[in-house]
Amino acid sequence: MTLSEPSVPRRRPRRHGKMTATLLMLPPALILFSLFVIGPLLMAGYYSFFHWNGYGTPQDFVGVHNYERAFHHSIFWVSVRNTVVLLLVSIFIQMPIALALALAIYRKTPSNALFRLVFFLPFILAEIAAGLIWSFVFDGNTGLVAGITHALGIDPVFILSNRDFAFYAICLVVVWKYFGFHMMIYIAALQAVPSELIEAARIEGAKRWAVIRHVQIPHIRPAIVVSGFFAVIGSLQLFDVVIPLTNGGPSNQTHTIVSYLYTFGLTRLNIGYGSAVGVILFIAAVIVAVAYQWHLNRESAK
Amino acid sequence: MTEVRLSQIRKSFGAVEIFRDLSLTVPAGSFTVLVGPSGCGKSTLLRMIAGLEMPNSGGIEIGGRDVTEAEPSDRGISMVFQSYALFPHMTVAQNIDFGLRLAKVAAPERKRRVAQAAQILDLERYLDRKPAALSGGQRQRVAIGRSIVRNPDVFLFDEPLSNLDAALRNQMRVELAELHQRLKTTMIYVTHDQVEAMTLADQIVVMNAGRIEQVGTPSALYERPATTFVARFIGSPRMNLLDGPLAQEQGAATCGIRPEHLHLSEDGPWQGRVTVAEYLGNETVIHVASEVGDLIVRQGGQANLGAGTPVRLTPETDRLHRFDSAGLRL
Amino acid sequence: MSRSNFLIGLFKTIALLICAAFVLGPIIATVLGGFKSTGDLRVNPLGLPKVWETQFYLDLIVDPAFWRYMGNSLVISLSAVVLTLIVAAAAAYVFAQIRFFGSRFLLSYLLLGLVFPFATAILPLFITVRDLGLLDTYWAVILPQAAFGLSLAILLFKTFFDQLPKELFEAAYVEGCGYIRFFWRFTLPLSTPILATVGVFVFVQSWNNFLLPLIVLNSREVFTWPLGMMQFRGEYLTEWNRTLAFISLTLIPAIVFFLAAQRYIVAGLTGGAVKG
Repeated sequence: MTLSEPSVPRRRPRRHGKMTATLLMLPPALILFSLFVIGPLLMAGYYSFFHWNGYGTPQDFVGVHNYERAFHHSIFWVSVRNTVVLLLVSIFIQMPIALALALAIYRKTPSNALFRLVFFLPFILAEIAAGLIWSFVFDGNTGLVAGITHALGIDPVFILSNRDFAFYAICLVVVWKYFGFHMMIYIAALQAVPSELIEAARIEGAKRWAVIRHVQIPHIRPAIVVSGFFAVIGSLQLFDVVIPLTNGGPSNQTHTIVSYLYTFGLTRLNIGYGSAVGVILFIAAVIVAVAYQWHLNRESAK
Repeated sequence: MTEVRLSQIRKSFGAVEIFRDLSLTVPAGSFTVLVGPSGCGKSTLLRMIAGLEMPNSGGIEIGGRDVTEAEPSDRGISMVFQSYALFPHMTVAQNIDFGLRLAKVAAPERKRRVAQAAQILDLERYLDRKPAALSGGQRQRVAIGRSIVRNPDVFLFDEPLSNLDAALRNQMRVELAELHQRLKTTMIYVTHDQVEAMTLADQIVVMNAGRIEQVGTPSALYERPATTFVARFIGSPRMNLLDGPLAQEQGAATCGIRPEHLHLSEDGPWQGRVTVAEYLGNETVIHVASEVGDLIVRQGGQANLGAGTPVRLTPETDRLHRFDSAGLRL
Repeated sequence: MSRSNFLIGLFKTIALLICAAFVLGPIIATVLGGFKSTGDLRVNPLGLPKVWETQFYLDLIVDPAFWRYMGNSLVISLSAVVLTLIVAAAAAYVFAQIRFFGSRFLLSYLLLGLVFPFATAILPLFITVRDLGLLDTYWAVILPQAAFGLSLAILLFKTFFDQLPKELFEAAYVEGCGYIRFFWRFTLPLSTPILATVGVFVFVQSWNNFLLPLIVLNSREVFTWPLGMMQFRGEYLTEWNRTLAFISLTLIPAIVFFLAAQRYIVAGLTGGAVKG
């Protein structure tokens, strides 16, 4: 272009750099994800139309029979009912407790930090460990419940073997395990409320309760919605806690959807049937996610 | 019309002592501005009047009533915050109405008062909007509206204009002054901006490091600063403070003269050279390195003085301020 | 006024202490239970052990199977973390840095994993792992674990990378630095906070996972600790104290890890949650 001396030999930015980078860096994620997430999901849809024990290729096409079977199986409905109970307990008992505790200890003081740590502790334990710990607690012979009944001089109680109450015991364990998680979400949100807002409300004449009702709770509403979303998704997926506590019993009364799927699909090698249940669970999750997204869109449009 | 009186206030945050023994009277109906550099304690003082901070000892009276222990809402005050502190989930009308609703004022009365406040502050068109949809100046007006509707005995302002841009700040300053003239209510206003203090106040309280340096009218502070701190803080460009032989001649440790009381002249007693001349349109601020020290001179109009130009200066000797070695006015 | 404040404070403290007792009670009883003889545990599940039996803890500590379970879990979890971080960060980098046809579509595709529960496809996943000949290998857990962690990891990484100053890349590009080199030399080192957060999350998920190993691991040689613990529980059904000792020993790494990584765990939780 000009006659100026060529200075340092200039390395040309390679035009195909983009292409190379894309072709090198994107496929691992796509392959891994397709192979172990989307693939199995699509296969679940496919298998759900077959009667198949998992060996060879599925041949025995049965149409929607697997779905019909699920909808006619009383235990399936028990698992659905249990999941709904769990969901209601999570939202109407666990979340309010978590919110009350968050309001009590959101301020940064040493004693609050200690309480926060204690309340969060169950969340960091493995579900399976939590389940085992509580199966000991509930054990009518040797557990804490046994100790209490023993001290009161009444007959041992085996709550986990009780058809009517076993699932409520599971709900209690779930509350124990997860309330700290919801509490932490609220605490983070409460700490983000500007202190001037609360001071302004106090000057306007708001007492403690009015501050909570008119300033703090409206301000952390998005966090409450998020935690509700997690509670619903978590209820749909609950499995690990159930296995050590009741393994679905007594007489299959404490199954959740996933433990039902595991018990009636995999352990009995009804791959087709289990897949159908998986698809139903998937649809439920999608409905929840869509509802949540719809809610978020409506909020942000406001 | 309500007087605010603080007596022998002591306040500390943990080991840090903010005030040791502070007393102050804010006259009824005055517009009193607390001014000082950041960290001087002016906001803490305001927050103690509001009841958001408790003094360790001492008393606070509002309108002759001891409110030292009273809740913020029982003190007959209202407060406008630096960040406005509007409730983001409420509309403008709900924000203004909030205190009335809590005070269980009857609905028609509330409506009337909100409408009146909106009219005074020119907010009628925005009543149904949320704060996020308002400009900075509008938010500021909503915050003021929230204060007005409760008919407080005392208005408190905590640096209310510092989040606004310069043009808007000037406009809001005028509006605040008008508001005070209209309402005649006692107002206590915190700022670090001495221009705001000078233009708004009928009483200025200059604070420094937890102490009150001087209380007085703007002109008193400007004409007769009680300490070198006040002399430096009030006025822009700031007062020239000189120590050395010149001050000793005057029998003082420090001598001060304002830039407008120094004049360029053919035969002035002080010699020096121009370092920078800043042309501001209506005036020129000339920085001079002189034999008595570095000086700032303020001169009307334009002065064509390049750096290095030798000049002579004549001070108005009757405008000299003299301070002792402790910085107190002689 | 101050009296009612005092009462409220007292009430609050009592309520908090009750909650703390509810939370800690079972955990303390578990740890103590590991020190009790079977007879002691039967009559005295709540109190301190009459005689401190250290035998059950010691038996476990010298049991090679216990350490094998822990070791398997550690290898699997660390591998899942490394795999997730590299694969997800690379993909997120492409989405953040390079515009190409279909990128929005591919991103949405990869984020589908946010929507549905892992358990949905667990049976076909078992078939896939089996057909790949991976049953009873570490890979049987590592690969699906990483795959299911991808969606959230990519989302968090992309959000973070988008916030890195664009000028940085432009400056490096002008100097002749290519995309891939920029990724290693600048993007990754600048992203340590988010890498740590995601890493901690994937690790915890993998360490605690029960359903996936349950389905794809059958041999005790490759059992992770949750499987080993359930196995152990099955073997010593009547001796709760042994199981309690086992649980207690697994609580230690969980608590130590939490205290060490608390910052990232809480940041991940609340950051993700507050953003929605």
